[in-house]
Amino acid sequence: MSVTATTAPSFFSCRELNAFYGESYVVQGVSFDIPEGDIVALLGRNGAGKSSTLRTIARANQPALSSGEIWLNGQALHNMKPFEAARSGIQLVCEDRRIIPGVTVEENLILAQIAQPLGWTLEKIYSHFPKLEERRKQEASTLSGGEQQMLALARALARDVKLLLLDEPYEGLAPVIVQEIERMLQEVKKMGITTIIVEQNAVAALKLADHAIIIDTGVIVFTGTAQEVLDNQTLREEYLAI
Amino acid sequence: MDMTLNAFTLSLLTGLQLGSIYVLIALGLTLIFGTLGVVNFAHGALYLIAIYLAVSINNTLGFGLALILVPPLLFVIGVAMERGLIQRFYDRPHTDQILVTFGLAIVLQELLKWIFGANNIPFAIPSWGNGIVMLHDYLPFLEGFVVYPKWRMILVVVAIVTVSAVFALLHLTRFGLVIRAGMRDAEMLQFLGVNINRRFMVVFGLGAMIAGIAGVFGGPVTQVSPEVGMQLLVPSFLIVVIGGMGSLGGAVLAGILIGMAQSFTAPYIYLNTIIIYLITVIILLVRPRGLLGAKGVFE
Repeated sequence: MSVTATTAPSFFSCRELNAFYGESYVVQGVSFDIPEGDIVALLGRNGAGKSSTLRTIARANQPALSSGEIWLNGQALHNMKPFEAARSGIQLVCEDRRIIPGVTVEENLILAQIAQPLGWTLEKIYSHFPKLEERRKQEASTLSGGEQQMLALARALARDVKLLLLDEPYEGLAPVIVQEIERMLQEVKKMGITTIIVEQNAVAALKLADHAIIIDTGVIVFTGTAQEVLDNQTLREEYLAI
Repeated sequence: MDMTLNAFTLSLLTGLQLGSIYVLIALGLTLIFGTLGVVNFAHGALYLIAIYLAVSINNTLGFGLALILVPPLLFVIGVAMERGLIQRFYDRPHTDQILVTFGLAIVLQELLKWIFGANNIPFAIPSWGNGIVMLHDYLPFLEGFVVYPKWRMILVVVAIVTVSAVFALLHLTRFGLVIRAGMRDAEMLQFLGVNINRRFMVVFGLGAMIAGIAGVFGGPVTQVSPEVGMQLLVPSFLIVVIGGMGSLGGAVLAGILIGMAQSFTAPYIYLNTIIIYLITVIILLVRPRGLLGAKGVFE
């Protein structure tokens, strides 16, 4: 019996993703791998296709995936519907937080626990986010921006999350609140949850991330460590304007 | 407007009874509207199917079986309609949805006319529901011999019970929470792992089932003829709009409002024909989202 050396398949992997809205391709030939527990910053200018890439991975109906493969922990996501991808461990914390209006803070969390498999219990969530417990009976849309971001993150942790997709978690928040959210995300990092973060505030994202991917007009133009991006001035000027 | 207390009470009851049928139809319509975002012009046809099923079963096997069989049958018909046809139009423009559901309504109406004929089929009211109520026995302030048909009173009670049951389902159960949340942001619920489309299919069935309940009790009042579906659809649709798209409370409020308006303007024939449209115009000018319409629903 011979032993063949094989590289272990990556925890998360996407291959040649092509996705479109209407007539225009917003994600073109995107491929990358993420080892388990890593945090990747997906960077690029406005409209570069970052959010679209996250939505494609979460299997949103729009943009529509025309070709390519998405694998998470040995499961093929590319033929799944959004709720099936969520059940396989994808959690998208959307741009604008997408807190459900008209129901309470606690009901927003309960809604994350309708379908198996579950993550944190409500008790655990409240012990980590005491502010949410204070406001649990409050209509969720009355929360401040920072609290809504907290709720959106808590909602993701209420599920058995294997790949966390953070879309602009710092967007529209005051600097003090950004620091608070940063602390929370550092905690998430310590838990070892594999994460992709999309953020206009590239420096903040790179502080959190192990690796960086820069995307431009739907195409990957750079892959490397977070430190390499911080050190490479031409790269930063050309694609990130920082 | 010179009106005696007797006449006022009778108009009030008639308004309630008219409103009851409107509310039962508008409730299903607004549920389907709010969840699936589909303008279901075939909803009147569902009521039509219900009254024909109800009258056929009632006149052969009795009212009890009609009551037991028609609502679940309508649930099944509703789900079949959603799976077989309507779901193919979710991503299409509303004009396409209106055309296909309106077309379906006409096909169903003509089909029923072909099977049952164009004339009204008498709907025999069961003996326990027959007769009249002497209003003086319950409302001592009324003078003399004032009566109201017992069946119409029962219809009002059925509407109250049905509306309460739907509210309890939506506000006291986990299923209801998912539906209410799904009305506001269906995509986010999918991202949370909820198969929202399957639940919306159940809601379509429920809407049809409410039309079934309306048919069993409303058939003897609205008559059983092929035109009834369309006659009820237009006011019911306006009630959904006046109440606020997808708002159940709004549908109930607007349904009673329209019922009352029609009842109280009955003596004035010209006003009576336009009153629904007049109210619609005024309310939409003042509140474009309708009485209780929520921001973000169907926008």
